[in-house]
Amino acid sequence: MRKILKSPTGLIGTLLLALVLFVTIFGPWITPYDPQAFDARARLEGPSLAHWLGTDQYGRDLLSRLLSGAPATVAFGLGATVLGVGVGSVIGVIAGVAGGRTDSVIMRVLDGMLAMPELLFTLLIVTFLGGGTTQAMLAVAVTFTPGMARISRSAVLSVRTREYVLAAQARGESGAWIVGREVLPNALGPIIVEATIRVSFAIMIGATLGFLGLGAQPPSTEWGLMVAEARQFMFRNPWCVAVPGLAIAVTALGFNLFGDALRDAFDPKRGH
Amino acid sequence: MSSRIRTDGPTPVIEPPVLDVRNYSMAYDTETGTTTALDDVSLMIWRGETHALVGESGSGKSTLAWAITRYMAENARDTGGAILLSGEDMIGKGRSELEALRGRRIAMVFQDPSSSLNPAMRLGEQLAEVLIRHRGMSHDEALRESEAALARTGIAKPAEMMQRYPHEASGGEKQRVVIATAFACNPELIIFDEPTTALDILTANQILDLFVQLREETGVAALYITHDLGLVARIAKTVSVIHKGKIVESGVLEDVFAAPAHPYTQKLLAALPRPEDRLALPAPQDPAPLFEARDVGVQYNAPGWLTRLLDKTAAPHWGARGISLDVRPGELVGIVGESGSGKSTIAKAATGLNPFEGEIRFDGRSFAAREAFDRPYRRDVQIIFQHPDSSLNPRETIGGILSRPLKLYNLAPRGEIAARVRELLEMVLLPADYATRYPHQLSGGEKQRVAIARAFAAEPRLVICDEITAALDVSVQAAVARLLIDLQRRSGAACIFITHDLNLIRQLAHRIVVFQRGALVDAFDVADAESPDRHPYTRALLDAVPVPHRPETPGLHMEPRT
Repeated sequence: MRKILKSPTGLIGTLLLALVLFVTIFGPWITPYDPQAFDARARLEGPSLAHWLGTDQYGRDLLSRLLSGAPATVAFGLGATVLGVGVGSVIGVIAGVAGGRTDSVIMRVLDGMLAMPELLFTLLIVTFLGGGTTQAMLAVAVTFTPGMARISRSAVLSVRTREYVLAAQARGESGAWIVGREVLPNALGPIIVEATIRVSFAIMIGATLGFLGLGAQPPSTEWGLMVAEARQFMFRNPWCVAVPGLAIAVTALGFNLFGDALRDAFDPKRGH
Repeated sequence: MSSRIRTDGPTPVIEPPVLDVRNYSMAYDTETGTTTALDDVSLMIWRGETHALVGESGSGKSTLAWAITRYMAENARDTGGAILLSGEDMIGKGRSELEALRGRRIAMVFQDPSSSLNPAMRLGEQLAEVLIRHRGMSHDEALRESEAALARTGIAKPAEMMQRYPHEASGGEKQRVVIATAFACNPELIIFDEPTTALDILTANQILDLFVQLREETGVAALYITHDLGLVARIAKTVSVIHKGKIVESGVLEDVFAAPAHPYTQKLLAALPRPEDRLALPAPQDPAPLFEARDVGVQYNAPGWLTRLLDKTAAPHWGARGISLDVRPGELVGIVGESGSGKSTIAKAATGLNPFEGEIRFDGRSFAAREAFDRPYRRDVQIIFQHPDSSLNPRETIGGILSRPLKLYNLAPRGEIAARVRELLEMVLLPADYATRYPHQLSGGEKQRVAIARAFAAEPRLVICDEITAALDVSVQAAVARLLIDLQRRSGAACIFITHDLNLIRQLAHRIVVFQRGALVDAFDVADAESPDRHPYTRALLDAVPVPHRPETPGLHMEPRT
């Protein structure tokens, strides 16, 4: 952790992430207004003392909406990543450890899935499952699975031929012990790092789905949906698009920078 | 002052040294502060001379080579002294000056020829590139000159070799191309950084002969970096011994080897394995074998039915074939051979890491496949690997690693495991508090001791050592070999010791078997090593290594065998 804070990327990433997590946890309690309260006299206003970030087309306070939408947005990213990474790495570890024909079959199927562009694939699944936050989250998780499986498989493969694993095999250890104690602990680094970086992708895909009307539904304050709803009023008050857009960008950036720093900290070759 | 007067010609000439390193110091800036890498290093090399720089890993020998060519890491800092190439100061040179100079006036030959050649370029083009860049030749001229240069390195068909890519040439051929490239521009100085370490003994020998021949022809000055004291005598006239960034001793080779002044040099020379200093225990009298391999074969990449259908010529590659050997209780059998000769393949087959054909017998029981190996067999037959860095799980403590075999084979009751781990650590001469450390906190030699302790923790009856000393420095290697023999004496275990170091194995083994291209070609008692009825391949291997003698026998130091 000290190593992460020493690099500028790591420091900025950690600070941004801390801010995002604070807003996610405490956001709904510190809203200055009711995020759903209409105010017909103050529609599409810019930032003022009363409304720090301005108001949207119904006169709803943007800061309040942003704060109350944070848990849904970040939870979406985290949930989709945890699901996708979990399933993906289990598949990858199975393929890497089993090797041979099992490995070939699993990887060819995953290659087929990888061949489709990520967003298109997500859209396909959402269309299949129907709109809604849970469905969108599942769709993103499914999209993440093949990539994660590939990464965890290669991590496992590089560890599997190390001499301490061979020594365990020669000792006559059980397969479960070898995987659980010798292989996995040493293959976990790259998987965790990749997961951190993927949270930002998940948030962005979630926002995109929200924007397309396939994710969260109104009157949710999910950030992607906020951008979509405010789109037609962009020219009368750019703030109502910029504010949630920036929030998404900052969150994604935070996770991304933190993940990068984490990767550097895990890689002994990069440390001096 | 640094020039010397040459008197071997018709008239004495004053001759300045080609390379003059004067009181040079260098340091690295790291997170934890400044680390001195080179401390007050001085050495001089004249034309036509080879100066050997001998040191163990981490001694700073390669750092010095890079400092001379001024190719340094960003956090490296010169902290004093001077580096002069034919009187010109290297330290003050700018980037473009250095680029013009590298390859033309200073050339370098590295350890691993396969990573110093560009795999996507034909060998001829790589050689010609240097000539075009530094001697301003046209492409055609350069190609013609390259062919001539290759011919000088003794490559049989240079024109054909020019057209090949690096993967189509053998290790020895590649190193010849690298050497031809280094000599191509007639540089003043060539730095050799362990050029034969990655090659097999026989090939390495040819490369050394080539080096000596080219040096005679061109009169180049050479700095030869190596960890191998045995090899130094063949090529160098003067030697410097470097230890922890400091040159502890330097002088004319014969003098240094005959009467080493510094304790470190004495230790290095004493650690050289000498066949006449036998370490082995008395040979066991019991004629009944403990371990027998009968016609054992291992094949890799057996083609599937679809591949066989599409390609009739597809055939498996045999890692080893028709191997029969036996080991008696308490005996140490050495297996020698070049890389790829099937030594490790057999070790892995005997420990169930490779599927095999044929039969393995152990203590009266017979096993026809690796699936038949049961827990008692696996406990009785333990293996130790070559690389200490990768043979211990980095996420487990030393105590955890050593207690595993005890728990797995139920060798100690739960409450006594910690005490037994301490005993094991003391047995391999490590402090008992190492039990709480992690592998990365240990040195290479210490890690290898832990790996040895882990194998002996199982109280085995046969220990297979797969090149366990190959990755270690000479002094550590000697200590590890002694430790192994000591453990063997205490436990009575038999041992199969795989190595490519013939001098070492002649110290340790009772019997030696020789592998070549996956087959066993020779087997003999150590005492018969010099006997005339040895297989020609065994002869060639024995003749390729210089046999060091004790410093007390003057006049015989490190003579290559003839």
